[in-house]
Amino acid sequence: MPRGRTTVRFTKMNWKTKSVLFLLLLLVLVPSGPASAQVDLTGEWSPRVYNDHMDVGDYTGIPLNEAGRLRAEGWHPEQLDLPENLCRPHPIDIGLRVSVSQLRITTELDNETRQPVGLRLHVAWQEPEQVIYTDGRPHPSANAPHKWSGFSTGHWEHNTLVYTTDHLKEAYLTRTGVPKSDKATVTTRVHRYGNVLTIIFIINDPAYLTEPYIRESSWVYDPNQVIAPFPCEITPDGTIVPAGKVPSFLPGKNDILSDFATEYGIPLESALGGAETLYPEYIKKMKTMKVAPRTSTEHYRRTQ
Amino acid sequence: MIMRVIPIFLLVAAVSLLLPVNLPAQTARAVAPNDYTGYWVSIVTEKWRYRMLVPDKGDYTQVPLNTEGRKVANAWDPAKDQASDNACKSYGAAALLQVPGRLHVYWQDDNTLRMDTDSGTQTRLFHFGASRPSNEPPTLQGYSAAQWGGGDPRDRRDGQGGPVQDSTGRLVVARELQKEPDYLKVVTTNMRPGYLQKNGVPYSGNAIVEEYFDTFSEPYTRNTWLAVTTVVTDPQYLIEPLIMHAHFKKIPDNSGWDPTTCRADEPR
Repeated sequence: MPRGRTTVRFTKMNWKTKSVLFLLLLLVLVPSGPASAQVDLTGEWSPRVYNDHMDVGDYTGIPLNEAGRLRAEGWHPEQLDLPENLCRPHPIDIGLRVSVSQLRITTELDNETRQPVGLRLHVAWQEPEQVIYTDGRPHPSANAPHKWSGFSTGHWEHNTLVYTTDHLKEAYLTRTGVPKSDKATVTTRVHRYGNVLTIIFIINDPAYLTEPYIRESSWVYDPNQVIAPFPCEITPDGTIVPAGKVPSFLPGKNDILSDFATEYGIPLESALGGAETLYPEYIKKMKTMKVAPRTSTEHYRRTQ
Repeated sequence: MIMRVIPIFLLVAAVSLLLPVNLPAQTARAVAPNDYTGYWVSIVTEKWRYRMLVPDKGDYTQVPLNTEGRKVANAWDPAKDQASDNACKSYGAAALLQVPGRLHVYWQDDNTLRMDTDSGTQTRLFHFGASRPSNEPPTLQGYSAAQWGGGDPRDRRDGQGGPVQDSTGRLVVARELQKEPDYLKVVTTNMRPGYLQKNGVPYSGNAIVEEYFDTFSEPYTRNTWLAVTTVVTDPQYLIEPLIMHAHFKKIPDNSGWDPTTCRADEPR
C-alpha cells in the first residue's frame, strides 16, 4: 500500500457515508423510466373534415338545452349576409370544423427572447389564429376582453397536447346558427398518430348545453400544402340584405325549422338535439315517435 | 474516500443509461399505458343521421368513394342482404365502432385484449406481439394486430448513418431516447368485405383498418372517455383513406347492455 494513502473498510464507514453510497447505488440499480417528450405538431395539415349540420333545424348529436334551442330556432340564414357578419371569423373550434379548414401549426416565439412559448394555429377560412401558450402563464382575469379565439394555455400529457380556451366571444357551434355563449370553455386534445393529426374538442357551455359536447376532426400531414390568403371585403349596408333589416325568426315562427327532419325522415324532436338523443337506446324511442311524411329520399344530393 | 467512490458510481450510472434496453419480455397487459377495460357506451355526436338511422341508399356524401365504390353502394339491397346471410356486413371491423351500442373490453389473456359489442353481438380480439396465422380464411372482424403506440424510438443512427441494431437485427434504443407509449394502435387485415355505413357503402377484402384508441378524463364532469380514430385504406373503393371518429363514455357496469342480432335494415 502506497505511503500516505488510506483505505476505509465499508464496515468502518460512518452511517452518513454509507447512506450516500446506498443512495448512489439506488440511482444506478433502479431502472429509470423512459423520458417523456413532446411530439412535433408543427407543419401544414390538410383537412379530412366532413361537415355536418349543414341545414337549418339540424341540431343532431348536440346536447342542447332549451335556451340553446330557442336561440338556434331564431337564427335566419340571411344573418350571414349582414355587413357585420360577412368577415366575422369563427373561433378555432368551429372554424376547424365547418369551413375550409386547412391548418398550419407553427412554434410561437417570445418577441424578445426568441424562446418558444407555445404553438400558433392558423386556419384558411377567414384566417383565424389561436396561440396556445405552454410556458405556464396564467389566464387573464375574468374581466379581460373576450376574443374570437379566446385565450389558451396548454400542457403535454405524454404525447398529447391538452389545452384550455376561455375568454371566447359568443359564437356558433354549427354553421346554421346553433349558439355557443361567451361563458363557454373548450378543452382541446391534439394527438399526432404518425401523419394523421387528430383534434378532439370538448365544449362546455353552461348557458346552452346540458353536458359537455365532444367532437373530433382529423388532418393529414401535407408539407406541400398552400394556404391561400383570405381577403375579405365588407359590402356596404343594404347591398345584400335591405338596410335596417335584422333577419330572424320569432319564437315558434320558424317555417323552415322542420324541413331537415322531414326530408331525412327524422322525428322533429330528435333533429333538434338534446343529451338523450346521443345514446344508443334512443334508437328504440325514435321508433315510437311521429315522423312527418317524407317529401324526398334524395335530399342529400344538394350537398354533394 | 467518499470523493473517490462518487465518480465511479456516476460513471457506472452514465454508462448504464447508454446501454441498450434489454428488459425481460413483459406482457402487453403488464405494460399497458392506459386502462381500456370495462364497459363503454357510444355517445353519438358525430355523423348522427348516418348512425342513429339507416341512411338512404346513395347517401355517401361523407365517404370518398371512387366510381366502383359508388356503383356498389348504389346497388345496395338490404332485403337481399338480410335474406342471403349478409346481414352482418355493416358490423365488420372497419365500421363496428360506428354502430351505436355498448362495448365490454377485457383481457382475454395477458396479450389479447377482447372487445365485445352488444350491437350485432360481435367480438374483436386485439393480439399483441403475435403475427397473423397464415392460411386463415378472412373473417368479418379480420385479424387485429395491436401495439402500444406513441413509444416509437427516437431516431438513433450509427456513425455511418444507419440505424443501430443488435446482433438479432432489433433496433437498439437507449433509454433516454425512448418515449412513453400512451395509446393503443390496432391494425386489422384479412377481413371479409363489408360496409362502412349501414346503407351498403362498401369496403373490400383488401382494406386495411388502422385504429387509434385514446382514453382520458374530461375536466368538466370527470367522465372517462374513449376516443377512437379509424383510418380505412381501400384503393378498391376509396379515392383516399377514410378517417372516422367514435366516442364512448365509461359506465360502471353492464346496465343497458342490449344484445342485438345483425340486421341489414336497422341502425344497430
